[in-house]
Amino acid sequence: MTAKSVLITITIISLFTLGVSPYIGQIHFDNSELYTQILTQIRLPRVLLAFIVGAGLAVCGMVFQAMFHNPLATPFTLGVASGASLGAASYVFLGLSFSVLGIDGSSLAAFSGALVAISIVFAISRFRSGFSPETLLLSGVAINFFFSSLILFIQYLSNISDSFRIIRWLMGSINVVGYRDIVQLIPFVSVCIVTILWLRRELNLLMAGDDIALSRGVAVKQVRYLLFFVTSLCVGAIVALCGPIGFIGMMVPHICRLLIGSDHRWLTPATLLFGGSFLIVCDTLARTIIAPAEIPVGVITTLLGGPFFLWLLVKSRLNAA
Amino acid sequence: MTAFFAIDNLVVTTANKTLLSDISFAMTKGDYLCVIGPNGAGKSTLLKTIMSIVPLSSGSIKLNQTPLSQLKQKALAQHISYVPQAHGHALFFNVNEFIKMGRYPYHSALSDWSQNDQQAFDRAVEITASTPFLERQIHTLSGGEIQRVMIAAALCQQTPLLLLDEPTSFLDPHHQVEVHNLIRELNQQHNISVIEVSHDLNHACQHSQHILALKQGKTLWYGNSTEFINTQQLHQLYDQQFVFATHPQTGAKVALTSEFK
Repeated sequence: MTAKSVLITITIISLFTLGVSPYIGQIHFDNSELYTQILTQIRLPRVLLAFIVGAGLAVCGMVFQAMFHNPLATPFTLGVASGASLGAASYVFLGLSFSVLGIDGSSLAAFSGALVAISIVFAISRFRSGFSPETLLLSGVAINFFFSSLILFIQYLSNISDSFRIIRWLMGSINVVGYRDIVQLIPFVSVCIVTILWLRRELNLLMAGDDIALSRGVAVKQVRYLLFFVTSLCVGAIVALCGPIGFIGMMVPHICRLLIGSDHRWLTPATLLFGGSFLIVCDTLARTIIAPAEIPVGVITTLLGGPFFLWLLVKSRLNAA
Repeated sequence: MTAFFAIDNLVVTTANKTLLSDISFAMTKGDYLCVIGPNGAGKSTLLKTIMSIVPLSSGSIKLNQTPLSQLKQKALAQHISYVPQAHGHALFFNVNEFIKMGRYPYHSALSDWSQNDQQAFDRAVEITASTPFLERQIHTLSGGEIQRVMIAAALCQQTPLLLLDEPTSFLDPHHQVEVHNLIRELNQQHNISVIEVSHDLNHACQHSQHILALKQGKTLWYGNSTEFINTQQLHQLYDQQFVFATHPQTGAKVALTSEFK
């Protein structure tokens, strides 16, 4: 199949998922006022949010994989999401409540945390120019541990209700009522996605290696800073709202690359659509499997993602041997 | 006559090591310079510094009198192209797309593939005879084919100066000759100036016009290729004794490593 037909197929599947999933759930179709209310105020925003979050996380993962030439490198494995979580948890703990230019303070706190984490990763990767992918991933693990223990510390100091809030939120869930949160999120995610679409040719060249990218005329440093900035923005905003929903950014772009190839002109829209519908499916499962109770969607994505991560790790080891 | 490309007193240092120092040479248009020397002499660093992959510490590199430091990376890529050493990690690209990526310096994010782009692409593919594997994935190609694709992508940039880092390492004799012939064709028929890093001493002496011999980051010898093989520097350069023979077909003097200490 050509890249074009794969993309068309993914688009059709995504539209289908978007259209059908709001109708799946405990309460079944009738024309009552209550049902319409549930559909438009609860399920529809939830499905839309899942799509936006999934798309954003998948595309950010794709960028990290391309920049670090490694399918295991994502904002989550490198500790950027834990940085964002720490930022947001501090915001809750300190009892802050502010907004800047209509942007919620927790988003800004998470964004700052993400930027700190990404700067650490970046500094480590620069520290020794010949760093190996293993070093990078190990430093990601260390950063994750470090931020996680700080979050635990904050939880320990918090009162019971804050602590519970933090725990539930750390599990990652798509839980909104109405459209206010979605409107908050859209600018961050769309700035990130537009930038990535704009830099599609640069991403292709970065994937071929920094030397090749530079010799073709890519201003590698500037492009990299810009990509780090917009992905931090996107991951920060998403984590502040939904908590860290792991592994989407690793699984989705990898699968899309197998389906459509590495050319970011096709890969980016495919990853975006697939990521969005993938999270919708996961979230639909999360709210229906043990209905009327719910599983946090982060639990589902992590249950799928953990084995996937191991599979990738073993596969890359086998290829290297 | 003013130099087309000139390096003056180039010094490259990292935090704790001097990689290159006091490198100076000048090239006229259409020149073919081979950089030789033992491993770790700084040959690859020299090419990377020219391509602004490694920053220079002092000195200057000028192309048509313009210091390269004044050029943006994109403008630089319109003047100089670079074929890096064959590297380990697999390139998961379609050959066709990869060669087309060589047109990057002539594009902005919204520009379309133009007539000029297509011409540059067709010409690069034709010269390197890459047509048979255009639709394949790079990581499935043989070493010789990959090298031709890398050269084709660099040619797509349509630069007057081409840098090549050990283009024939890891190739069998047949493919070595093929790549050598290709480089000579580019130099002689298409008037592209070439700087090539090579471990093949005899190739360098017979096919290039000038030789720059580097040892421990310093210039050991620079001059006409034909004169190099007669000098005493060869032993000094590689810490190895050589004996000399005459090529039965061309009559050229060739160096062979000595069997005795």
